[in-house]
This record gives sequence, C-alpha cells and structure tokens, in this order.
Amino acid sequence: MDLSFLPQLPFALSAPIMFGALLAAGLLAGEAANRYASLPRITGYALAGVALGPQLSGLLSSEVLHALSVLIDLSVGLIVFELGFRFDWAWLKRNRWLLVTAVAESLFGFGAIFGALAYFGFEPVLAASAAAIGTATSPAVVMLVAHELRAEGQITERALLFTAVNSVFAYVALTLLLPLLHIELQVGWLEALLRPLYILGGSLLAGAAACMLMLALARWLGKREDRQFVLLVAMVVLTVGVARSLNLSVMIALMTLGVLARNLDRRHVLMPLRFGYGGQLFFVILFVLTGAGLEFGAWATAAGLVATLLVVRFLGKGLAILLFGRLSGVRTGGAGLLAIALLPLSGLAVGMVRDTSELSPAFGKELAGILLAAVAISELLGPLATQFALRRAGEADPGARGG
Amino acid sequence: MDEMDFRPSAAISLGVELELQLLRAHDFDLSRGAGDLLALLEKRKLPGAVKPEITESMVELNSSVHRHHGSLRDELAVMRDAVVKEAGVLNLRVAGGGSHPFHDWADRRIFPTGRFRSILERYGYLAKQFTVFGQHIHVGCPSGDDAVYLIHMLTRYVPHFIALSAASPFYQGEDTLFQSSRLTSISAFPLAGHMPFVRDWAEFLEYYDKMRGFGIVASMKDFYWDIRPKPEYGTVEIRVCDTPLTVQRAALLGAYAQALVAYHLQERPRAPARAVYLVNSFNRFEASRFGCRGELVEPYESRRKKIGADILETIETVMPHALQLDGADALTELAADVRHGYSDANWLLECHTVRGSLPDVVRESAARWSGTPPDAR
Repeated sequence: MDLSFLPQLPFALSAPIMFGALLAAGLLAGEAANRYASLPRITGYALAGVALGPQLSGLLSSEVLHALSVLIDLSVGLIVFELGFRFDWAWLKRNRWLLVTAVAESLFGFGAIFGALAYFGFEPVLAASAAAIGTATSPAVVMLVAHELRAEGQITERALLFTAVNSVFAYVALTLLLPLLHIELQVGWLEALLRPLYILGGSLLAGAAACMLMLALARWLGKREDRQFVLLVAMVVLTVGVARSLNLSVMIALMTLGVLARNLDRRHVLMPLRFGYGGQLFFVILFVLTGAGLEFGAWATAAGLVATLLVVRFLGKGLAILLFGRLSGVRTGGAGLLAIALLPLSGLAVGMVRDTSELSPAFGKELAGILLAAVAISELLGPLATQFALRRAGEADPGARGG
Repeated sequence: MDEMDFRPSAAISLGVELELQLLRAHDFDLSRGAGDLLALLEKRKLPGAVKPEITESMVELNSSVHRHHGSLRDELAVMRDAVVKEAGVLNLRVAGGGSHPFHDWADRRIFPTGRFRSILERYGYLAKQFTVFGQHIHVGCPSGDDAVYLIHMLTRYVPHFIALSAASPFYQGEDTLFQSSRLTSISAFPLAGHMPFVRDWAEFLEYYDKMRGFGIVASMKDFYWDIRPKPEYGTVEIRVCDTPLTVQRAALLGAYAQALVAYHLQERPRAPARAVYLVNSFNRFEASRFGCRGELVEPYESRRKKIGADILETIETVMPHALQLDGADALTELAADVRHGYSDANWLLECHTVRGSLPDVVRESAARWSGTPPDAR
C-alpha cells in the first residue's frame, strides 16, 4: 500500500504552527496568571515565554527567536505608534511644566544610573551608554497595563507621555554616545558621525514620509473607522518593514509616524485610534517572545548591582517628578505613583544592548549582562508595579478584569 | 429654619447652573477628570462655584445671583475661561451640549460621594445613563405661593425652553432624530415629571410631607421635575434645558425665563389650569423631537400651533418686561434664531454632515464652547 500521501513524521514546525502555538500558550499562561495568582496577564505571557525559551525548555531556540524578531518589531511598532499618536504638542504648550517634568524625569533617571555605574568604577562612556539605555520605560508594559485596566486619568496620561519622552531620550542619547565609543575604538571620524546621523535622520524621514502618505490616503478614504483601522495597520507594518530594510530605528520611525500623525493632521482626517482585539494578538506574541529572549545570566552574579541600578533609577525619576510634578498639575501623592508606574525597563534595551555590543565589544560583557538582567527582572515585575500604581491612583476601571 | 421654609429672594433675580462635559483630548470621548479639575480650580478665586456632578465626566458651573442677563453672561464667560484653562493643564477639553454624542454609558464612573453612590445603587444603569448635561435656570420669587403660581404658568412654556435649548441630537453614537434626546433619559426616573396641581405653598407642603412620610423622597432633590420650587434659594428652577453650546446662549435663555416670570408675576394674565398638564407630555415630546418646527397644543385656547410661532408671539408679549430688565436685545436675538431655524442641535447636525464623524462634532463643539475660532475647513 502506498502511504506517501501521509506526511513525514516528525513534520516541520511551520510559521503558522509556531504563531498559533505561541499565541495559545501566551493566552493560557496570561489567563492562568490572572486567575490563580492575581498577576497581570502580561506577566503570564512573559512567563510562558521564559518557559518555552532557550533558558528553560529550549522549545524556542535562539535561531527561531531571531527569525521571529519581525513579530516583535511589528508589535513594538504598533505600540510605539499609539504612544506617539497620543503625544499632544498642544498639551505641552498649555502646560509648560509638563515638558520640564518629562525632560527632568529622563535626565534624573539617566544621571542616577550614570552616577551609580561610575561609582562602581565603570568607564564613563560605557556608564553613560548604559544609563541612556536604562532610562527608557517600557512603552509596551505601560501601554498594555493601561489598556488591560482600562485606566484613565492624569497618572495614566502622564505615564504614557513620560514613557514616550524617555524612550526617545534614551535612543537619541545612545545614538549620540555611539561616536564616542567609536572614537575610543579608533574608527574613522566620518564613519563615527555618519552612522548616528543616518539612523536618526533616516528614521525621522521614514516616519515623516509614512505620515504624509497616511494622511493623504486617510483623506481619500474618508471618516470610516473600519477602513482607517486597516490603513493604520498597513502603514505601521510598512514603516516597520522599511525601517528594518534600511537599517533604521523602528522605534524612532514609528514614534515619528505617530507624533506627526497626531500633530500634523490639521484637517482632522484621522479618526481616533482603537486597536481592540486585533492589537491584542500582536501584544500576546510580543510578550511571549520577549519573555523567551530574557537573559537572567548576570542576575546570579550581580544581583546587588542590578537591584541598586533599579533603585537609584526609581529614586532619580521620582525626585524629578516630585520637584516639578506639582507645577504641572500632578496631585499630591501622584509623583510617587507615577515613578512606580514608570519602573518597567524598556524591552527596547535588549536591542540597544545588542547593537552596542556588536559595535563595541568594549561594551563590557559584564555591563551588557547586568542591563539584560535588569530588563529581565523588570519585564516580570514591571507590569505589577505599573498595575499597582494605576490602581492605587484610582484610575483603573473597577470593572476591568485586570490582574 | 426648616429646609422647606420658602426664603423669599429678590423677585425676578436670575441664576443658572450649567452641567458641562469633560472630554479627553485624544479621542473626544468623555473623560473622568472631574476630581483633578476641581482640585486645580480650588486654588483659583472665581465668581460663582464649580461643583462635581453625578459622574466623573461632568462638572457643574453655578453662577451667582444676577439682576440682568448681561452680568450673568459676563460672569459665566469668566468661569468658562477659568475652567477651560485649568482643563487644558490636564489635557482635557470642555463642551456644552445636552448629551455626549457617542460615549458608552457603561464606561461612566460615578463621582465618589455618598449621595451619588446611593443614586447608583438605587437606580442602577439609569444613574449612568443620566450622564446628560442640562442647564437649570433659577428665577427669584417673593413667596412660596408665587412659586407655585409661577410653576403652573411656566409649565405652558416648557416646550419653548426645550426647543430653544435643544442640543442633544446624538446619543450613543446615533442620530436620534430628536432635537433634544436628553429629556428621554430623565423621563425614565420614577420621580420625573411635573409638580402636582396644588393651589398654594401650604398645599404643596402637605403633598411634600405625605411623600416624605411614605418614604418616597428624602428631600426636594429627589424630585426630577421639569420645573420645581427651590425653597432654600427662594426660586423656581426650570430644568428642561439642554446645556447650550455657548455661555451666550445660556444667558439668552436666562433672559427669556426672567421676562416670562416678570410678565406673569406683574400682570397675572391667567389663572392656573389643569389643561396645561393634560397637554404637557404631548407638547414636551413635540418640542424634544422637532424643536421649533414641532406643534404644541395651546391649553388655554385648545388649538394647535407651531412651537416656533408660539415662541415669537410670546416674545412680543413679554417684550415690555424684557425692556425693563435690559433683556430686549437677548429676546430679539432669540427671535431671530427662531426665524432663521437656528438651534444648537441643528448646528451639531450640520457639523456632522460637513465633518463626517462624531468625534469631529465633539471637537468642534468644544472649540465653540471655549470661544476659539473653528479650524480651517
């Protein structure tokens, strides 16, 4: 009998099988974390990733993770776009102290980490690069916890705004520091300058071009939420793809797209944005994959340093918000909650550390490991912090089944 | 002093309450920023008062007492500017209008005070659907008996106030085809409606004591009537108006109420009649649905008239009193609007046609409330 119509076993794990399985695993882990441990669902997604990842079971190998990195970029792209789309210049104009607070929050966070690293004897340029990377709050965690809790109010809005500002700050600061690393490595001046210029300028241009195209198309499509939603996803995916192909920064390009879309749309052709269930798919995958990629290696050896960095970062940010927050209309007690909400380190740091390490092996293995360990710990605990802060601020919807 | 003692106030003095929408800047849905906004406003010295309302998406402006609508308008403008400015610090927008065009009532959260919580507990979803925005006009009365008389008189004009203020054509994302959809959410409450046909204040107190005795009401606040007496202020309170899209229009409506009260108190042209209440719900519906283009049944003459025509006739009748109250301009302006078919509801409908989406309507309406020029079309 000819049984060749039957598949060869074991059959290959195709992309749809991987995608579906990750989605289901993340979903179930998120729900379980929420039901049985009152944890945010996001923590459950990330835990599922850790379990499947190379560090534990190895079901997801590093190669597979690398192959799936486009999914991470797409999800981060959607989130960063939304973050940018909520960034309102008009608000900063009406409330100048807000911009001061946001910038101070970034600077103080940077200064605190830099100071601690310098104290522990790290090279200034390395310490500054690490501090830049460490300043960023995770857009994904803050945005998704806010979504999950259906949180709304001043603390939530500011947490999102500050996250947008410190993410851009981190990326720009790091890009500007790179030439210094290059010079230490005695790479040519020209290359050292051109590289950051290309990345920043190119990402801005890509985002701006995508924005112009999107506005023109939206105008032609008219005010229909369903069509505009598809357009929006199309433009975000397209921009992510272009940024990847041209070796640009996905984060800066998508942030530019979002911010410009909000602030250049003078004719108001764009409808308000709701990602809804569609976005949820990407976000589950994002956290599962981020979880799988987490590295706890340095945690064992440098727990004290990692913890110190997280604490001084919190204190730096908290101090800035405490000093200027009141002037920008943060209510009493709000500064502390805001600083807690901003605790989650950005998963973008993983990419930044890799980029930097590739460029400069001098970016000490130790320092990279410490940052990655800090990211790992805060990917898991960060959502709890943000959730606690938004709940405590009374901005979570009591009816929303958050963690 | 008993809370039900009618404290006489300067006859025909004028004050208003305006319930306002607090909006999120990024999608123009209702926000829940009332608490933060009120905290910021506490630091400012303002005429009148700004107060919380039943859900965290609204605040209420209370004017002080005025003799003329002009000073009322100026005071409201000062309060409006302060509220808009502080709301801007929180990235909130403020708008008038009787309903939010597309909010989801289930998202509303009750302002955390004892009274509002108990309303939610008692009335369930009605309390959240009660997120509608009205203007209440207080006119001063020399005595309780006068208040009772005035309420019977003013009830005939309820359709006027509905039609002139109508500003809630959209509700829950739909064009309701009503000029004022807001009144429907109020009618759902068991104590909505009108004051019973009592002859004087003594008889009213008898009724009130009975209702209290039955445990149906605890205070005057529990009656959601179209017009009710407010003994502690010494006023009658007209509660059927949608919050208009501008403070100017809010003051015009005040001027109209003031002139009507002056006319009836000084000329006593008619005696209270039960017929007014027979035709009331029909007239009220016509006004909510069609505005000035609707028809009302004139209870004293038993005939049907266009509401718009009836308003124009009434304005002519009360004009001498308006002149004495510096309100002639206001009434002329209202009459012109009636002739041109202007209503805030029509403005919102037109805005929707031109702009194509409800968030756009809310944005434009917020700009109109703030007194900023509309964006380039």
